[in-house]
Amino acid sequence: MTPISQEFAPPFKLIAPYFIIGSIFYLLSTLLLFIFDASSLSYLDPQVISFIHIFLLGFVMMTIFGAMAQLVPVVLEVGHFAVELFYAIWPLLLVGTLLMAAGFVYFPTLLPYGGLIVLISLMIFVGEIFLTIKKVKQFTIVMSSVLVANSFLFFGIIVGLIMALGYAGEISVDIHTLLKAHVYLVIGGYVSITIMGLSVVLLPMFGLSHGFSLKPLHRAIYMMSFAVLFVVIASLFDVDFLAYIGYGLSIVSQAIYFYQVYTIYKTRARKENDIYAKSLIFAYLSLVGALLLGSLSLFVSYEPLLLTAGWLLFFGFFGFSITGHVYKIIPFLVWFERFSPLVGKEKVPMLVDMLPMRSSEAQFVFNGVGVLIVMFALLTQNSVALSAGASFLVVGALAFVRSVLYMINFKK
Amino acid sequence: MAMYSKEELFLAISTVIDPEVGFNLVEMGLIYDAVCDDEGNVKVTMTLSTKACPMHQMIQQWVKEAVEKMANIKSAEVKVVWEPVWNITMADDNVKKALGAV
Repeated sequence: MTPISQEFAPPFKLIAPYFIIGSIFYLLSTLLLFIFDASSLSYLDPQVISFIHIFLLGFVMMTIFGAMAQLVPVVLEVGHFAVELFYAIWPLLLVGTLLMAAGFVYFPTLLPYGGLIVLISLMIFVGEIFLTIKKVKQFTIVMSSVLVANSFLFFGIIVGLIMALGYAGEISVDIHTLLKAHVYLVIGGYVSITIMGLSVVLLPMFGLSHGFSLKPLHRAIYMMSFAVLFVVIASLFDVDFLAYIGYGLSIVSQAIYFYQVYTIYKTRARKENDIYAKSLIFAYLSLVGALLLGSLSLFVSYEPLLLTAGWLLFFGFFGFSITGHVYKIIPFLVWFERFSPLVGKEKVPMLVDMLPMRSSEAQFVFNGVGVLIVMFALLTQNSVALSAGASFLVVGALAFVRSVLYMINFKK
Repeated sequence: MAMYSKEELFLAISTVIDPEVGFNLVEMGLIYDAVCDDEGNVKVTMTLSTKACPMHQMIQQWVKEAVEKMANIKSAEVKVVWEPVWNITMADDNVKKALGAV
């Protein structure tokens, strides 16, 4: 048999740690919800900051980086510059995240070390992506989105490190001034634009959608990019009105992006609602909820509104977008490695056969219910409801860890 | 005279299944044409449901191998084209029905 190029599917042993560690951080972040008192939550609370970094760095970034090892060549249509660099990224990100999480709550002196290790990890990732992008000859909007998103990430982590040094008392900076810039560069600039760009490749690929326009995506990415720039400038030079323009633009950008996703959904040929489709529907409904609450928080001074918008954005939108895609990406990679050499020689499983039906359904249901209960708890500042929601989320996260391990270890 | 007809070539290629959707490439409507000359040289023209398909090279290889398994085939060339762009109307009715597209 003629050997098949591995250019578009890196070795699974390289990517597997990202998904395993990511799922464990997801579980850890659901467990941490039990320590919070809903009646006195603030986004500036060190425990909240620690929780957010565990979720975003440990779960969101870790899983996105693992997925990007496979998706970048698919999206950019060129092979990686040096995919082996991904062997170095996850251990650094793992150690750095743990040090930072501990630093925020217990030992601030650990923060610069954790921050530096995370910085090195992310720089390797960004550098590898930039060098891969250099091989691209003709840029599409999706390829441009990868470039823009990673540029924002580059600056976002530098601002983050400066904040970590300030938090530890090593240098004198106004952390609160830099906070908006850091949040917008990483969440709006990197995570949101990455999801926007990748989703217009992945959603039509899995849903077999055709005949939709990409104009809304162009507008959404431009608007989000300007939103990030405005908020960063406003943050650095203390210009309030510019920040509000940035907030408004980011909300409009996400709304336009939602419309883009809706057009893809409407033109899909594959109507079955499998675990992937259900997860994505929940994710995008959460995005709508986050946008509504986020918009409201611009006019109503009630911090729980902002916290709940953030909750729906993180655990609802980011969380379900990622878990949904994990159910597509892991089976493909495992299938590619274990079963593709057997095609034509013996019966091989289909990708759908590699899904753990019960645990993936359990994950969806328990996490979905958990997200909604916690949303209610945050809005009403009800600690009992917060613990109840956390209980559902822990069960869902356990089911997710089990699903990930099942798919990784799948044998005929 | 051609060694194999288009129908015979399509039948051979129909053993190749897309593992993501679970249907063979012929019933998906992904195989546009297949011709064989009298010496056993085959040319297959096909597409994929998306340009970003990570299984692009693999599927192309499977089609080539499926054709090469036929008796007396001397060579098989598989060309992937993007015009006309594939859409679900090109698939067989059983595929459309199973996917919920009708």
